[in-house]
Amino acid sequence: MAHSEVEIVLVEDNSADLELTLYALRQSHLVNNIHIARDGAEALDFLFCQGQYAERAFLLPRLILLDLKLPKVDGLEVLQAIRNDERTKLIPVVVLTSSKEQKDIVGSYQLHVNSYIQKPVDFDQFRQTIQQLGLYWLVVNQTPFSS
Amino acid sequence: MVGVWLELRRGDSYGMRILKYTPQGHVVKHHRGRIPKLAVTAVAAALLGFSGLYLEASAPTEYQVKAAYLYNFGRFVQWPADATAKEKAYFPICVLGQDPFGRALDATVGGQSIDGKQVVARRILTPADALGCRVLFISSSEDGELKNVLSALDDTSVLTVSDMPQFTARGGMIRLITQHNRIRFEVNLAAAERVGLMLSSQLLKLAVNVDRNFQPGTGR
Amino acid sequence: MRFRIQNHSIAAELTWMNLLVSASALLLACAAFAAYDLIMLRESMVRVLSIQAQIIGANSVSAMLFNDPHSAESSLAALKAGPNIIKAEIYTPDGLPFAGYFRGHRRKTGPLPKIPAGQTEAHWFKNKELIVVRRINFQGKPAETVLMESDLRQINNRLKRYAAVVFFIVVACLAAVFLMSSFMRRSIAEPLLRLADTASIVSRDKDYSVRASQVDRYNELAILVKSFNEMLDQIQERDAALKSAHAELELRVQERTRQLAGANKELEAFSYSVSHDLRAPLRQIDGFSNILVNDYGRHLDAEALRYLNLIRNGARKMGQLVDDLLNMGRIGRQELTRRPTDLNPLLQSVLQDMQPELEGRQIEWRIGALPTLECDPGLVRVVFVNLLSNAVKYTRRKESALIEVGQAAHGGEVVLFVRDNGAGFDQKYAHKLFGVFQRLHRADDFEGTGVGLATVQRIIHKHGGRIWAEARVNEGAAFFFTLETVRHGAQSRALDEAAV
Repeated sequence: MAHSEVEIVLVEDNSADLELTLYALRQSHLVNNIHIARDGAEALDFLFCQGQYAERAFLLPRLILLDLKLPKVDGLEVLQAIRNDERTKLIPVVVLTSSKEQKDIVGSYQLHVNSYIQKPVDFDQFRQTIQQLGLYWLVVNQTPFSS
Repeated sequence: MVGVWLELRRGDSYGMRILKYTPQGHVVKHHRGRIPKLAVTAVAAALLGFSGLYLEASAPTEYQVKAAYLYNFGRFVQWPADATAKEKAYFPICVLGQDPFGRALDATVGGQSIDGKQVVARRILTPADALGCRVLFISSSEDGELKNVLSALDDTSVLTVSDMPQFTARGGMIRLITQHNRIRFEVNLAAAERVGLMLSSQLLKLAVNVDRNFQPGTGR
Repeated sequence: MRFRIQNHSIAAELTWMNLLVSASALLLACAAFAAYDLIMLRESMVRVLSIQAQIIGANSVSAMLFNDPHSAESSLAALKAGPNIIKAEIYTPDGLPFAGYFRGHRRKTGPLPKIPAGQTEAHWFKNKELIVVRRINFQGKPAETVLMESDLRQINNRLKRYAAVVFFIVVACLAAVFLMSSFMRRSIAEPLLRLADTASIVSRDKDYSVRASQVDRYNELAILVKSFNEMLDQIQERDAALKSAHAELELRVQERTRQLAGANKELEAFSYSVSHDLRAPLRQIDGFSNILVNDYGRHLDAEALRYLNLIRNGARKMGQLVDDLLNMGRIGRQELTRRPTDLNPLLQSVLQDMQPELEGRQIEWRIGALPTLECDPGLVRVVFVNLLSNAVKYTRRKESALIEVGQAAHGGEVVLFVRDNGAGFDQKYAHKLFGVFQRLHRADDFEGTGVGLATVQRIIHKHGGRIWAEARVNEGAAFFFTLETVRHGAQSRALDEAAV
């Protein structure tokens, strides 16, 4: 994969879920600049150019889509790491998860997540949500890092 | 109202007062006078004789009082046990000489008794008759014969009483005196005791004078 | 005197009683003796006067007989030696005064009082004087009458002396009694006081190990002390038993609480994992089915497409079920926080939120005045949401739907109801209404998971209320519920209106 400007970092461990999400993103024409991380550690390595991504040039993505239930490093931990680092503090993070639990929602907001979305079971709805999501965060919303 | 008062006096006349009272009892008039005793006695005797009972209820006369005295003397004197054994049932009170008492004596002693003995009044003429008497009143008529009378009674237990002057001085036992309108008496105790008579102290204390030291034959 | 004694200690009371009893006994005895003595004194005074009269008589008879009042008076004069003699008079047998002795030289002669016939002598106590009159005979014949008059100074002096003696005796005896009372104190009052002290210590400090000290003699006090101590033994035992039972109970409660907390935590963890882990597969089922339809739909025949739709429906339904179950679980675990809640704005807010559902529907709403009740607004909101949703859902087939909400007075309680004129149900199966996943209609006719009413019932029961339903097939259903008795008085007017 080319290390061109990464627009979206998608952190998702479930392959089926991943496929569905990518399908929806594709339908919304947002897949060109996506980097996938399969667990929390990988996500962090990529973001901070460490580990297997040590060679990477430090680039800030425009959006991070974060699942909460991740192996190795949990979603909230990743969020915390992102928010704790000066460099990555301001990146818009959207939690994309099956859970509607209060403690997950509250926990995420306390760690300054930008948005929390529950993945609907209904695929049509899911597709719509992804489309709206992409449109909003990549087009409508202004990020602090203009290219 | 008029009141007539006779005052008994020594001597031979009575004093007399005539007082007039108002109905409230205040004296208005006051007369004084004198009436010879004899006159009074005569009138009294007459009155006594006529009035009998009535006069006895009014103020007593001299000889009524003296009669009572004679009787009462008998109650205060103790005769020796063997005296006049002759008449044990009687208590004779005798009068020797001229009887000045009249019925007063009989009236006084009538029905009375002394020491269980019936009192009787007797008039006797001679001292010899006096032997049975307990009390003997010697009338002043016997004044001249007193010495003989007393010597006749020498050893007898007879109480001799008289109102003649000097009676006790001459050996008599009780002499009746009129003093301050009252009948008093003086006693020759020695004479009485000489013949065994015992006079009660109750009697003696009333006497004007009690002679305990008389010696017979001395006339004192 | 009575209420003063009641406020004193027993010791003082005993002392008072002793003093009182002793004083009464003493006074009574002294009074009796005094009375007797005074009677004897009077008799002796009479006797003495009588003897004096006789002596005077004996000594004055001669004076009377010989009419010598002077002599009589001089013997009377000796009476000067008797300071109590007021006068002595000698009367003649005719009753006329003869002679007299007068104390103080005030000649006060009077008429001779009559001696009753047959008697020699008579006496009278009157006007603070004693008069003795005696007939004197001499040698069997009445001689005179003597009258002796004496004052009562002897009696008075005797009385005074008595008073003084009695006073001293009583004071001395009472002092002795007072001293002796101290012994009584020791034998009765002290043990009682000790017992009382012990009892108050036990009561005040709740110290049941204290015991009362025993009495040396065996009397009712000893029995009392013994019983008291035995009682304390029992109390101590029971107290200890109570404490240990309490401690055991505490342990058990803690254990249970721990278990419950553990169970709750498990449930929470369960819910969490359910909410997350169950959904993902469902999403995937639905998602890929959708992709199939979208991307390969043209290769599939109608039947295959139908199957795929069924798969999608199944997944979606399951998702709904999971959500409903989780909801119900959450509600079940939730703590009830009661607040006085005005149900009218709450209802309006629910209706507001339901607007999307009501789009395109012709529904007549009859909303009555609702009371303000002590309840959990969030949970009651859920109740209304569920009941109204149901009402809206089951009246869908009706042209003119009518939904009523209000309150009714039902035997003194406030009962709220939601009534519709929709499909209703067979009252025969009313007991199944509130079961989880129980439905009385086919899913084809009316969608639903069958969890709504179970949740509602859970909430109502949490409030301590009751819920029941009455319905007739095709004529509608009415759901009644209570949330405990009305607390606020303004409701009585609302009750009256609703009853109309």
